[in-house]
Amino acid sequence: MEILDILAALSDHFFLRVGEFGFKIWELITPANILILFGATILGIVFGALPGLTATLGVALLTTLTYGIDNNTAFIALLAIYVGAVYGGSYASILLNIPGTAAAAATAVDGYPLALRGEGGRALGMTTTASLIGTVFGLLCLILIAPMIIDLALKFTTFEKFWLAMFGITISGTLTSRDLVYKGWIAGLIGLWLACIGQEQLQTFPRYTQDLPELQGGIEVVPVLIGAFGIPQIIKVLRNRAALGKPAEFKRILPEFKTIARNLHHIFRSSGLGVFIGAIPGIGEDIAGWVSYGVAKNTSRHPETFGKGEVKAVVSTECANNACIGGALIPLLTLGIPGSPPAAMLLGALMLHDVTPGPMIEFENPGFIMGFTAILLLAACAMWISGMVLAKQVVKVLKIPPSLFMPIIGVLCVIGSYALGLQIINLYLMVPVGIVAYFLTEMEYPIAPLVIGVILGPMADENLRRGLMVANGDITEFFTRPWCIGLIVIIGLTIMTQIPAIRRAVERSWNRFAGGFVRPTDGNE
Amino acid sequence: MKRALGLTTAVFLAAAGSAFAADYPTRDITTAVVWGAGGGTDVCNRTIMAEMAKVLDININVINKTGGVAGANGMNYVKGQKADGYTLVGLSESNVTSAVQGGFDSKFTDVWHPFIVGGSPDVVSVIPSAGVNSFKDLIEKAKAGPGSIKACASGAGSIHHLNLLAVQDGTGAEFQFVPYKGSAPCQNAALAGEVSVVVTSVAEQQQLIKGKKFVPLAVLVADAFTIDGFGTIPSAFGDYPKLSEFLPIMQAIGFAIHNDASDNVKQTLGDAFTKAMQGDVMKKFADEKYYVLSGAHGDDAKAVFDSLESQFTWKLFELKAAKFSPAKFGIAKP
Repeated sequence: MEILDILAALSDHFFLRVGEFGFKIWELITPANILILFGATILGIVFGALPGLTATLGVALLTTLTYGIDNNTAFIALLAIYVGAVYGGSYASILLNIPGTAAAAATAVDGYPLALRGEGGRALGMTTTASLIGTVFGLLCLILIAPMIIDLALKFTTFEKFWLAMFGITISGTLTSRDLVYKGWIAGLIGLWLACIGQEQLQTFPRYTQDLPELQGGIEVVPVLIGAFGIPQIIKVLRNRAALGKPAEFKRILPEFKTIARNLHHIFRSSGLGVFIGAIPGIGEDIAGWVSYGVAKNTSRHPETFGKGEVKAVVSTECANNACIGGALIPLLTLGIPGSPPAAMLLGALMLHDVTPGPMIEFENPGFIMGFTAILLLAACAMWISGMVLAKQVVKVLKIPPSLFMPIIGVLCVIGSYALGLQIINLYLMVPVGIVAYFLTEMEYPIAPLVIGVILGPMADENLRRGLMVANGDITEFFTRPWCIGLIVIIGLTIMTQIPAIRRAVERSWNRFAGGFVRPTDGNE
Repeated sequence: MKRALGLTTAVFLAAAGSAFAADYPTRDITTAVVWGAGGGTDVCNRTIMAEMAKVLDININVINKTGGVAGANGMNYVKGQKADGYTLVGLSESNVTSAVQGGFDSKFTDVWHPFIVGGSPDVVSVIPSAGVNSFKDLIEKAKAGPGSIKACASGAGSIHHLNLLAVQDGTGAEFQFVPYKGSAPCQNAALAGEVSVVVTSVAEQQQLIKGKKFVPLAVLVADAFTIDGFGTIPSAFGDYPKLSEFLPIMQAIGFAIHNDASDNVKQTLGDAFTKAMQGDVMKKFADEKYYVLSGAHGDDAKAVFDSLESQFTWKLFELKAAKFSPAKFGIAKP
């Protein structure tokens, strides 16, 4: 009986909120707002798709431009560009193998092989719907269970963050080449070394800075990303006079609902992961993408299909990075602490519009979270509609002769590296990284681990040393906290599956156990 | 041709120069803020500029020129513009470290003629589970077990870190300082229970204070500070008068013009600034943003920046985080 009462109260609360929510959306839909919504979304997709222009930069740009505009309209523009840019990164990842943003780097690993097979359009259709589901999942979490998520996210202290970064780094080992398993680790270590350059974050001690003030701030991820993925790709395509992906076989706009339905468990797992990682302050979309990729690969019965054009991988990364948006807004709105770098820009924008997020936000600005979530839903829908219309057209860029197209991409890479902070040092960084990356790819080193190293290295480094500081040099703290133990077990399992002998043994016993139940096509869907 | 062009330009400039000297301002002013849009310095500059624009009866455009070591990009940009009072730089106390870190080539007040709007005072808070009710309580506890209480105050060498160090110097207590990349991660760590003492500004903490996540013990300025809807936070100087030797080290957010701008320009801007600061808009701004207003400009403001520069740069040098010795720029030891 009591349970029924609670359920009734909960559903009352739920329907009340849904009603409130619908009303808020109705209020927001004006012709001008719709125009701005779609304009900002498409601008966001362009920002995401162009290498070097990131979601953070897009939000920063609109923050200044929307100063002085009415609050609702300004937030529509800001959230639309945020959602659009996180989604748009997948375009360049899939079609060109040059991630448009760090968040979409993990998408390139399986997205580009799909494009090479002529399934680029299909992959884009899938990521569009996956991104929509991810974003909506994130906003549902924000509106319904934010307090619970925040409690969980706050359990992630310095110690847990270190192990989470380590988990991401161990993915390096699973991205290997055919001839030598350890090539992934070697590329990963180069990335970790690059991440060390600059003043370290805790005691500002300069490392490998060569007395150059430009290096003091450390290495930026974006130029490394552009150099590592972009330059080798441009050289390779031009040298081989090869076409990029096959554009012809894009047949349909609407998503394959069957494929979506088959991948539902991947979608929910990745969205959940995305929300959670987004909610941990300071960790953003890029890390969510890699961690989700790693989890998808680890839990797959056919990990060998990853890296060769696995739809599951693309869906998992794109769901996770978009779900991250809702996640990142949770600590932003409820504690005033941004969950990701673009959310930090968003905090600035909120302050500019006289909204100070924090525990008191509902007292000072009643109904604000509801309105903000309604805007996020509008942004997600605008992204999906724009994406569905754009995807079919965008694939046509592959018809442009590479000898014409790749030089343009080259120029965009240069502009993209420079656009970030307008620092010439980023160009000096992007070009050599690109050349080194070219030779590494020629020697069949996987390049993704290098980028993983640069993204996750600082997180691991900073949290390891801060953890030791907090614990007065006592290392046991890293091994005794419950969440730490869980993460260590997962990392241990990941590493074990990388050892060929163990993997073969597991596969043998799995086959014996599962017998004829495993369908041979299972790995490709 | 080239020479003729040069001559014409020179004549034009001379004419323009004299025109400006007699009558300033005659066209739009641009203020380049060295920190990002929506940050404290940006919001503050947008507010004061809007007010000054009314007084001066011209437009003031606020743009953001971010990046570089400690805001060096924006400062070097404005430094490279003519000293005619039409390009201002929006900045804060954090910019004084740019020179010793290799971003800027001069002592702060050698180049700039500053105007200080104000800043938010630093406050020492604890998390409720720490079981501490007063500043005195906290200091006594810290003295009983030196280094046993973990405190965060943004990054090493930040203004909040300097405030924490001043608290230690002025009271004899010793905390274990844990550095974070900024105030937000530091406050987050306190919420997660990783550290128990937080030293950041009232503006940064106000939501968490009002939400009862943090217990504010004392502000690190001479006067008590009242938060609407919460109450009054006492000054730390009451129980420990010796603190006044080391504090306050408070934010100085405002803007600056070239030192070699004409007296007329300095005078005109100074008058407009003073008038704007006395208006209701700025008082409301101070209330909403938890600021203490200053209003200092010219020599008074230079004295504030000189003191902040000396404390910041020598601390960074001591932490080995400075590229050059402050002595290189003629910055005196604190």
